[in-house]
Amino acid sequence: MLTLNNVTKNYGKFTALDGISLEFTGGVYALLSPNGAGKTTLIKMLTTLIFPTSGEILWNGDEIVKLDARYRGVIGYLPQDFGYYRSHSPREFLRYIAAVKCVPRDAARRKIDELIEVVGLSDVRDKKMRKFSGGMIQRVGIAQAMLNDPQILILDEPTAGLDPKERVRFRNLISSLSKDRIVILSTHIVSDIETIASRVIMFRDHKLMTNDTPAAICDSLAGKVYETDNLAAITAPYLALTERQDGGRTITRFACESDCSAVAAAAAPNLEDVFLYVYRDAV
Amino acid sequence: MNDRERDASIDLILSRGLVKPKSAAAVTREMLRGLGLRFIFWDTAYSIIFAVLTLAPIAAVLLITPTERHFTVAFALSPALFLLITAFAETAERAGALYELKRTCRYTVRQITALRIACYSLAGVVYCAAVTAVSANSGAELVRLLTLCLGSLFVCAAASLAVMRNLRRRWVNAVFAAAWLFANTALPARYGAEWETLLSGVPYAVSAAAAAAGIAALILQLKSMLTEALPYADA
Repeated sequence: MLTLNNVTKNYGKFTALDGISLEFTGGVYALLSPNGAGKTTLIKMLTTLIFPTSGEILWNGDEIVKLDARYRGVIGYLPQDFGYYRSHSPREFLRYIAAVKCVPRDAARRKIDELIEVVGLSDVRDKKMRKFSGGMIQRVGIAQAMLNDPQILILDEPTAGLDPKERVRFRNLISSLSKDRIVILSTHIVSDIETIASRVIMFRDHKLMTNDTPAAICDSLAGKVYETDNLAAITAPYLALTERQDGGRTITRFACESDCSAVAAAAAPNLEDVFLYVYRDAV
Repeated sequence: MNDRERDASIDLILSRGLVKPKSAAAVTREMLRGLGLRFIFWDTAYSIIFAVLTLAPIAAVLLITPTERHFTVAFALSPALFLLITAFAETAERAGALYELKRTCRYTVRQITALRIACYSLAGVVYCAAVTAVSANSGAELVRLLTLCLGSLFVCAAASLAVMRNLRRRWVNAVFAAAWLFANTALPARYGAEWETLLSGVPYAVSAAAAAAGIAALILQLKSMLTEALPYADA
């Protein structure tokens, strides 16, 4: 179990994260918040790149600083800006990362072949990566993160910049890799997590706002989301969420604290509604 | 907590307390076996080529240096190969796109850098020998100049590692190399012949002691880089 006890991170006078307490056991945890809310700071702390100003991060009861290499041995990390060697093939690159991760040579060879298969890069395993698409590079990224069969898989904005097809493929991949391990996924793309996250962690004003299942989070807005093609009829204060076209009409989805069922159709809230509602000042 | 749980906790604490930390030699052996020279020097070829190309015109200064200044020039240029390779390779490493990822791996950038630097130091010794062979006028001067050059190399190498370990800035190696070259240009410029006299007058025992102290300091720095657990993955 990965535990954060009252973790605070300051950069000079700026507080990036304030008094965060969390427990990660198993499944996919999605860190959802707008840019600049502290997701990457938390990820960097969980990967030992930076350390808390106060509070502690424990892996199975031991501080990760004291565990040192033993902790790094159980994590797999895909950074936001995943660098790679353009003039090497995925197989060469993975061999190198496996060595740096201290994976024994024979085990690494087997694991590399297996992971290349899993991420669907078998056809290009020995091709240089310079001509790879963004999605292919991210798949190499996830393969390197899985090389040591990590108990904690940490992915920082893994789907940013991917086309919709690649994004769906990547989501399915993460979902399939999430069995028997903790997957911590940082994103501000709501659709990424709606389908695969077992819990969603949201920050507001650099503090933990909620840590719950997607369904429970959506329930927090139950009875407040409506759709209408006649927004002028709404007299109570509301927050416009999204718009869509339907048979030549513009349907507006909005959130309202008052009961608008007489003039608009009630709608089931989704994570995107909650995101827009919660971060209405920030997005 | 019952007796069984208490005993299990005591056993766990004792087992952890009795784990002997790995020595630097053991870590080195393990890393050499696991990584091999290929992965230790992975992606450093361009940096080494650039360092050698930069060194060529600098080393040419030795050939045109008047005899009355050869101690000054040899002393300044002895650590040049080490400083240039370290500056190019480690600056490139820190600026590289994979730096962040590598800092989260089991073998840290810090440990791999330590092994690379040990190799650069050996290359530096060979270079020092070459500098000495070119500069010395006699057999007696050869020994004196060699110990002075080795002292210069090892003290400079140990100092650069100390700076690198304590300042986690991208350009720290390059700045240190520039500072060394600047100091060794400014001092002769300021003191002229006096600086040459001072260096050529350093007793053999003093320069040998400086070289020995430099080697010891360098080994201690490398040992720390290989074994210490600090709250920064790359510290």
